Parts: sequence; structure tokens; C-alpha cells
Amino acid sequence: MDLLEVSNVSKTYGRGEAAVKALKNVSFSVPKGEYVAIVGESGSGKSTLLNMIGGLDTPTSGKVVISGKEIFSMNDRKLTIFRRRNIGFIFQAFNLIPELTVEQNMVFPVLLDYQKPDRTYLEELLSVLNLKERRRHLPSQLSGGQQQRVAIGRALITRPSLILADEPTGNLDTANSSEVIALLKEASRKYEQTIVMITHNRSTSQTADRILNVSDGVLTDLGRCSE
Amino acid sequence: MKSYLSLIPISARVRRRQNRMTLLCIIFAVFLVTAVFSMADMGMRMEMARLTQKHAQEFNFQAIMDTAMGQNLFLLAGGLFILILLAGVLMISGSINSTVAQRTKFFGMMRCIGMSRQQLKRFVRLEALNWCKTAIPIGLVLGTVITWALCAVLRFVVGEEFAMIPLFGISPIGMISGIVMGLVTVLLAARAPARQAAKVSPMAAVSGNTENKSRTRHAVRTGKFPIEISLGAHHAKSARKNLFLMTGSFALSIILFLTFSVLLDFVGYLLPQSAADADITITDEAGVTGINCISPETVETIRGMDGVKNIFGRRSLFEVPAELGKEGLPQTVDLFSFDDFDLDALKKDGRLRKGSDLSEVYGNTDSVLVICDPDAPIRKRDTIRVEGEDLSVAGMLKADLFSEDGLSHGKVSVIASSETFVRLTGITDYSIVMVQTTGDVTDGDVAAISGVLDEGTALRDEREMRTSGTYTAFVLCVYGFLGIIAMVTLLNIMNSISMSVSARSRQYGIMRAVGMDGRQVTGMIAAEAVTYALSGCVIGCIVGLAASRMLYNLLIDGRFPYAVWALPVSRLLIVLAFVAAATLAAIYAPAKRIRNMAITATINEL
Repeated sequence: MDLLEVSNVSKTYGRGEAAVKALKNVSFSVPKGEYVAIVGESGSGKSTLLNMIGGLDTPTSGKVVISGKEIFSMNDRKLTIFRRRNIGFIFQAFNLIPELTVEQNMVFPVLLDYQKPDRTYLEELLSVLNLKERRRHLPSQLSGGQQQRVAIGRALITRPSLILADEPTGNLDTANSSEVIALLKEASRKYEQTIVMITHNRSTSQTADRILNVSDGVLTDLGRCSE
Repeated sequence: MKSYLSLIPISARVRRRQNRMTLLCIIFAVFLVTAVFSMADMGMRMEMARLTQKHAQEFNFQAIMDTAMGQNLFLLAGGLFILILLAGVLMISGSINSTVAQRTKFFGMMRCIGMSRQQLKRFVRLEALNWCKTAIPIGLVLGTVITWALCAVLRFVVGEEFAMIPLFGISPIGMISGIVMGLVTVLLAARAPARQAAKVSPMAAVSGNTENKSRTRHAVRTGKFPIEISLGAHHAKSARKNLFLMTGSFALSIILFLTFSVLLDFVGYLLPQSAADADITITDEAGVTGINCISPETVETIRGMDGVKNIFGRRSLFEVPAELGKEGLPQTVDLFSFDDFDLDALKKDGRLRKGSDLSEVYGNTDSVLVICDPDAPIRKRDTIRVEGEDLSVAGMLKADLFSEDGLSHGKVSVIASSETFVRLTGITDYSIVMVQTTGDVTDGDVAAISGVLDEGTALRDEREMRTSGTYTAFVLCVYGFLGIIAMVTLLNIMNSISMSVSARSRQYGIMRAVGMDGRQVTGMIAAEAVTYALSGCVIGCIVGLAASRMLYNLLIDGRFPYAVWALPVSRLLIVLAFVAAATLAAIYAPAKRIRNMAITATINEL
């Protein structure tokens, strides 16, 4: 069964003559454990699509089904809880909470669920992400690459089935970019997670299992990288 | 666009919602000052009209300003002007500061494309003045309408000396003060934010890195409370300046409320109002109140006459030998009789000491009330022997009704019911009879009462001497002050919490994105607001009680020796309940805004 199914998703901003069609009948599916890259020009609708998949924005029409559940049939509270438990987000601007330490930022989604973080898993993540020495530091005391690694840790802590990454290497230099992508891939293999990532970077997209292209709100499957 | 400043009205239209609170603050300040000065002006006009009528000659404004009333009125208005100015500057500067902080990137961009620091300062100042265009006229209209309403209340509800206050007066002084207030507050309030905006580096636009990283120094302590509560409390505590300002606004409102409410006690002592205040008193011809010379039959005759609402009398017998059974007490007492109406009034006026049981005193009984100095060794249930009978003390009065300063100076007075007094002494005639008249009583009615009096007695018409009008106006004035304090507090607290939330909206967007639900958002904002409220309440109560005690000593203690300061429990409860309600009101709107925010738009907004 596919983990993610996007069917006929459209998004229109504005009305009448001012209407802008950001997404036009987008449909695709992603099986469990696959690593998909979405590429496209600026303003093509990539981020809009990713936000729809994550339930951060609502489509004008169409369905998004994650793990067999149609996310837009849920009310706001249920959707929030679903997002908290099943989807991990990684943003280009890291978007960490400035007053939380590295460790607190990572376990934040677990704390929002009023659960106790799994200490063994947390230690494992800190070790994989090479953040053990920095666990008590605030985001302002970290480099860009370290901040993005914290964001990855936060996305992985709930063991979500789906990770959505919006230009995760956009604010990083080449060395840090490669490291972040390698970590993401490793995590996806190790924890059997599905990754949907937006990228502008050609070499980054080449690391994915499959590439989707969005142009003027229309999605095209560019197929497997090896093909 | 003619100049770069043409951007101001365009920017104001775009940011209408963010500016709403600032507009409200300016409107509020202008409205208050217009109303206060217009009312002072109307008071002056009333005084001019009254003096003109009384002395049959014209009185000009200068002549009134030379009177104590004129000077007091404008001194009061001036004091209020400064108070409102301070509150206005505090509120408006808070909101301008916040709108500037939210637009760091915009100002960076302006600097990038060539705007100088001076131009940026001018831009922020003129932007603030631009709000005055709408806010000042609204404030002026509101202030004038409220003045009309207050004048109508004073003229028709309070009446008496306010019967001559003009109804639909337009006050140029009020208008000018309102305009000056609007402009001065805005210009003063825009100074610091304008400097702040001018400091923004052009790099802020290029890097997009507008968040002040140095602001966060300490991490949140998690574990004790749910994460959203810990975060909310941390938001309140981490920004020291903001915590100080917010604690200050909560505390200031409590301090002002507790201090101002002492004025209510003061006016109560200064112009004591009693349920037994008389419009006409009847005594012996020479005006001596100690001679029992008014027959009960005359009282009954007057009771049935036109214009009489209530009639009641007192009998008195001085220096009656008595055994009080304790050392240091006198051998005699002054004995008085109070009719039931008069006894009721003691309770209504709150003159009885705690624990007194008035119900035992009514009718032909052995129970009486006692008036003595607070340190005299007489307690409830003590027995005193008067005129050969043992009488039980059913209660005591807080102050001596019959002395100027409220103290008994070693004397002991006993108040008995009419029936008990007659049984003890055999005296039925009254020494003083008091009449309360109906609202439509005429001079003819009073003359008719005078006509039925016993020989050797006379009446004194005291209708003109009643102070209830002044008392009501003063109390209204104090409640007005308290109302203003409440409004300023409410607006300030709502504004500050809303601003604090707006400044963090991007962070809240991130939290929403990673799974914080609506209830948790509300909890986080509530924790922040409650932290401010709690610290404000602690400081406000401590300082407020000390200030209230000090003012009490200053105003009341010296003048009224029998007055005793007591912890104002009910006032404390009222002000704390108000603070709680204001906090809840302040949480509601921002929490709703964050719950309904478009997460993606907020995260991407830099």
C-alpha cells in the first residue's frame, strides 16, 4: 500500500480575474520508505504542494491520504495531533524554538503529546546527528548546519512515517548540505521513513529515489534517478 | 507618489488591523482629556451662571478662575491630564514599538534603497501622526458626547447645586486640550521607536535575519509543567523590560485603585451622609437640643401633614447617675432615646461596631446601645445600672454621634429605644424632632408645620444645607476616576499581551506546524499573561495597601481621630477580580488569532 496518496489536488488563491492557480489537479503516490525529490522553478507551486501534504494549508479541491487516512476530513485538533505524531517537518530556515535547548527542541513534539521522550532513542539520534556535545546549547549558539541537524532530530523524534523537507539545504554551504542529505537518507533507510523533499539543487535531487517536477502548478513524474 | 512620505497612508491602509490598537489608544486618550476639560469648563460655566444669578451681576471667566472652586477644578483637570498623558504615552509607545519591531526587514529594505536614518525617523514619526488624522476627531466627538451625558446626569439625577449646569455645551478648552493630548502623546510615544527603526541595518533586508538572537539567554525549564505552560511563563520572564512594564501596568492599576478608593472613605467622613439626615429640625426656641419640650402629639400631627416623608425624635437626659461596674469609668451617663427609624438608620449608616445586635434594643427592653471611647473597658453583654434598673449592653457605636470630633472624651452615652427611655425616666416629650421632607415639599408646607409647633419651640429649615448633591457628585467623580483607571488598565493589558503575541507570531506558527494544538496555544498565551498578572498583583497589593494606608493617615486619620484604617478586603477582592477578568479578556483575542492563523503564511513571513 502507498503511504502517501495525493489525488487531484488543486489550489487557487484569490477570486475572479485575480485568481491564481497555484496547483492544478496534482496526483501522485509514494510507497513506504521511498525518498522523493520535488524540483521546479521558484513560484511553481512546490512549497504549496508540500504544505498541502503536511496539512498546513488546505487545498481548494482534491484529497491527501497518509497511511490510509484522509487528512482534510479531520477537524483542526485531530489534524494537529495527526501531524504531531505522523509527519516530521524540516524547513529551510530551520525554525527552531529560540528559547529551547538542542535537546528540548528535539523532544518538543513528544512533549506536546504529553509523553515522556524515549531516552535511548534520543541518545541514538543525538549521536547519529553528532549533537551530543551540544545538547544543552541554545539554537543561537549553533552554526547553520548544526541547527538543521537539530531540526532533523525534531522531525525524527516521533518516528513519523512521513518526513517533509522544504529546501533543507537552502541555507547551508556545500559541505553541510551533503552531510544533511546523507543524514536524511540514512534515517529514512534505518527507520523506514518516507521522505518528500523540495530542492533547487540538482545534485541534491539526484540523491533521491524518484524526482517529481512541478511547473506552473502541474506535476510531472520524472521517474527514478537511475532510469 | 509625490515624495517618499506618500508611502505612509498606503502602509497605514495595508497594516490597518495591526494599527487598530494604537488607534484605539489615541482615541481613548483624546476622549478622556476632552471629557475631563469639557466637564471642568461646564463646571465653570455653571458657577458663573450661579454667581450671576445670586449677585445680579456678570462674572467673567477670570473672576471664576480666582475662586477656590475654579482653581481646584482646573488643578484637578491638570493632574488628570498628566495622568492620562503618562498612561497614553505608555500604551501608544508600546504598540508603536511593536509595529516597528515587526517591520525590521521593511526598514532594512528602506535603508538598502537609500533612505537615510533621519528620513526613517521622520517616516516613523509621521506615520504615528497619520493615525491622529482619524483618532483625534473620533476622540473629540466621543468626549463631547460623554460630557453632554454627564451634564445631563448631574442636572437631572443629582440636581440641587448642579441644576444650572449647561446641557449641550461645546467646550473650546476641552477640544484644544484633546487635540494637544493626541499630538503630544503620539509624538512622545514615537520617539523611541523612531530611533529604534533608524538603527536597523540594511543587512536586515539582505540577510532576512531579523530575529534578535541575543534576546534569548536562558533556556526554558521543562519537566515541572506541561511544555506550553513552561514556554508561556518563560516568554513572560525572559524579556526583562517587557516583564517590568507589564508587571508595572498591572501593579499600577491596583495601586491607583486602592489609593483612589481612599477618597471614598474621605468623602464619607467629610460629608457624612446618614439615612437619618433631616431637612427640618424642631428644638426649643433658643435652639438648645437638650430640653425635652416637644410633645408626642405634635409629632403625630406633623406626621400627617403635606410634604412630610419621615418624622422621628430623640429625648435626652444628661448626667444621669449610673453604675458602670468598672474602674476608670464615670459615675454618670447621658441617656438618649431613639425612635425606631433613627435606630434603623444607625445600622444603615454602618455606625455600629462589629458584633452589635440592634434587634435587642427595639421596644420596651433591658438592652441599650452605648457610646464610649474605643479604649473604654465596656464590652457587649456588660451590665450597667441606670435609674435603678440593670441594662444590658447590646452593642456599641464606632464614633460619638454627639461630638464634633467623633470621640467621647471619657463620657459614656446610652441610647435606648423610645419605649425603654420612657419607662426608665417617665419623660415623654422630645428634645429634638427631625423631619425628612418629600421631593415636592413647598415653602408653604414648611410654614404650615411651623404653625402647629408647641409654644416655646421652633423649627430650623435645613433643606438648603444638605450636602447629598455634592456628596453624590464627588462619589461620581471618584467612581469616574476608578472607571478611567479600569479602562486604561484593560486597554493596556489587552494591548500589551496582543503585542507580545504578535511579536512572536512566527514562532507560534512553527509550534503550530510541528504539532501544537489550539488548546495548547491558548494555554501558552494564558501562562504568559498569568505570569504578568501574578507578579503585578503581588507588587500592586503590597505597594497599593501601603499607599492606601499612607493616604488614609494623611487625609483621614489626622482630621477624624475616631477613624481606624482597616484592610480593605472587599476592595482588594474587587480589584483582583477585575485584574483576573482583564487577563482573561486579554488572552481571548490573541489566542483566537494564533489558533486561526494561516500557518504557512506566518512561517514564511520574515
